[in-house]
Amino acid sequence: MILRSIIAGIAVTLLSSTACIAADKLTVMLDWFVNPDHGPLIVAQQNGYFEDLDLEVELIAPADPNDPPKLVAAGKADIAVSYQPQLHLHVDQELPLTRIGTLVATPLNSLVVLEDSPIRSIADLKDKKVGFSVGGFEDALLNGMLKKHGLSVSDVELINVNFSLSPSLISGQVDAIIGAFRNFELNQMDIVGKPGRAFYIEEEGVPAYDELIFVANNESLTNPALPRFLSAIEQATQFMMNHPNEAWESFIAHDNALDDELNKRAWRDTLPRFALRTAALDTGRYERFSGFLLDQGLIKEIREVSSYAKELTVQ
Amino acid sequence: MISVSVKNASVRYKNHVLFENLDLTLPAGEWTCLLGQSGIGKSSLLRLLAGLLASDGYGDIQCSDSQNLESRVAYMAQTDLLMPWLSVLQNVTIGAKLRGNLDQHDIEKAKILLDKVGLAQDSNRYPSALSGGMRQRVALARTMFEDKPAILMDEPFSALDAITRHRLQALAVELLIDKTVLLITHDPMEALRLGHHIRILGGDPVQLGPAIIPQGKPPRPVDDPHVVELQQEVWQQLAA
Amino acid sequence: MQSSDNDTITNSQWRWLVRPITLAIGFIVLWQLVTWVTQAPVYILPGPGKVLDSLFNNLGLILGHAGTTALEIVLGLIIGTLLGIASALCLTYFQPARHWLLPVLVVSQSLPVFALAPVLVLWFGYGLASKVAMAVLIIYFPVAAACYDGLRHTNAGWLDLARTMNASKIATLRQIRFPAALPALASGLRVAAAVAPIGAIVGEWVGSSRGLGYLMLHANGRMQIDLMFAALFVLALLAISIYFLINRILTRLLFWLPETLSFTD
Repeated sequence: MILRSIIAGIAVTLLSSTACIAADKLTVMLDWFVNPDHGPLIVAQQNGYFEDLDLEVELIAPADPNDPPKLVAAGKADIAVSYQPQLHLHVDQELPLTRIGTLVATPLNSLVVLEDSPIRSIADLKDKKVGFSVGGFEDALLNGMLKKHGLSVSDVELINVNFSLSPSLISGQVDAIIGAFRNFELNQMDIVGKPGRAFYIEEEGVPAYDELIFVANNESLTNPALPRFLSAIEQATQFMMNHPNEAWESFIAHDNALDDELNKRAWRDTLPRFALRTAALDTGRYERFSGFLLDQGLIKEIREVSSYAKELTVQ
Repeated sequence: MISVSVKNASVRYKNHVLFENLDLTLPAGEWTCLLGQSGIGKSSLLRLLAGLLASDGYGDIQCSDSQNLESRVAYMAQTDLLMPWLSVLQNVTIGAKLRGNLDQHDIEKAKILLDKVGLAQDSNRYPSALSGGMRQRVALARTMFEDKPAILMDEPFSALDAITRHRLQALAVELLIDKTVLLITHDPMEALRLGHHIRILGGDPVQLGPAIIPQGKPPRPVDDPHVVELQQEVWQQLAA
Repeated sequence: MQSSDNDTITNSQWRWLVRPITLAIGFIVLWQLVTWVTQAPVYILPGPGKVLDSLFNNLGLILGHAGTTALEIVLGLIIGTLLGIASALCLTYFQPARHWLLPVLVVSQSLPVFALAPVLVLWFGYGLASKVAMAVLIIYFPVAAACYDGLRHTNAGWLDLARTMNASKIATLRQIRFPAALPALASGLRVAAAVAPIGAIVGEWVGSSRGLGYLMLHANGRMQIDLMFAALFVLALLAISIYFLINRILTRLLFWLPETLSFTD
């Protein structure tokens, strides 16, 4: 009798430990180096929410922000943090990607000028220099914004400044920048004493969209690890809402280097923008943005939203 | 025609004294042949006269007309020193080009000189297309083009085959008339054929031996009795 | 009976065309093989068919940008060469320069260009100037070092001859030292021709509004990988053309330099 219990006990221990060893591995490629936009991911990692759900998540920051979706499409990574606008373009190019969750539910992109710039409205951009980083669709955003004022991208000079958005604006090399994240670049400029002023693109004629989303390969959508992942993210987001200070401590515990003035400010500004319902999908939003991109000639056709964006059932 | 003399010539090579207190006179309009073992300092003496030794050499150089020897010498080395990017004609006139006063007159003069050395057909060819003998003939034409009273030649024919050498020696004597020539050679036969005066540099400490003055006009034939007679004396001085 | 060599395609007049074309075809075949074997998805490595298709559909666009990049490279080569030669002359004739300029030369070569690129962009702006500056930076050392090497190893005999001919330093430089240094300089120039495009492209990546590098980034961002490769292909053609053009010019200038390779046909 006792022997049976002992054997049963050993068996259970072994099974549960193998269950731990058999935790599902997920490689998640971030869109950029770790920053407050990735709050929920870091907090989930630090607070053990992944572990609780038998997930072993590896977070990877890319060298080239264009890589993550390609790697997921090629099957080399499980999940990528990407941008809704980019997803539309990728899907148009036949990449086998599907949106499975939302990280940041508002646009973060904005057109930024120096605080004391003479540019007071989008119409003032005529004949000015606008710097952009490589997103592939800044012209579309800009065009959408300029259209309202009877202008188009041919009325401005677009300069690819790669990722030197703030420096190029501060040094006066360009008159305005697009592709600047309102929670990041604005704070960056403020800290160096050259504050900026932002035009929020969703207020200037561009349909609202999810700035940061999670995408996965079409072949992997039945992977039970994915809904668990989203569940952990949701939990982390919740924690951040309920305990913002503790959440910040968790964030900087991941890496001391994250504890600086810029991240502090960005954290504060990003907090209200995280998707409170990670897995939930607003089909209409994706339809409207497709229409906008089609109008700008950036995609060839409108597709069924369900073919590239899904709500995965959380278990 | 000028005679050239150098007194108290001394030359150092690194920290080693090659020779000192040497006196040499080059009689006007005549060929002085300088013989000696390899490395004894013959070239250095010539370079001293040519003004090519900076701080390593010293000598009191005088010319019979009381003017400087500087810029009055033409130099011919063992290698033809032809510049491969210049045509034969351009090589002959290089001196005028360097001095910045090349004109049509010079070009005509060069053509005449090339004809004299038998290369009239080759004025537009390039050195790489010529044989060793032809190239040294161009060098000879270049030397004559300079039209300087003193000619300093450092073993100019030693790199040529015997037959070409023989011909070129005769050509040089024929063309370099009324010039004061210093010819350095390691070949006693060449010295005896071409020289009015033969000096031998040697010994320890290094000194110039007494002048050997063959009779007859250069170029002397090889079987000239004077030549044969003096061979022994030359070899004796060389060996000493 | 005389063979009809003169009429067949092996005639050397056409030979210069046959070999590059064979190479190009071989390259395209190899490319297609690689895409088949690796099963690379089209958004990572498109096959030659797709790329050539994209090339023809966007020919105007690509050629327009190619013109800008070509201009950057050529200007960079000209300015870099002049600067390099001037530095070599400095090093040859001014002793102190060897202590101060030489280290600068070496450092210019070893610093990774992409690290300096943002600084150059800050100084020269986002226009042509910064790309030209990058190209100049990249070729400065090869040209200067090669030219200096040539200038300092002039045949002593020629210099002796010049001395006896009463030539001034400048005349000696112009008529002897410099022509004699041309073979060495030519080596440096060939290297420069091959690497100058890198400078221009890196410059464009850091910040630009035109050029093949800009086009590649843009296409990449839009996931138009076939367009990106088409631009890359044109860039390769441009680089090869510039190299061969410069090589041709140098061979002409150095007509007098005998080549001692032996030909078997």
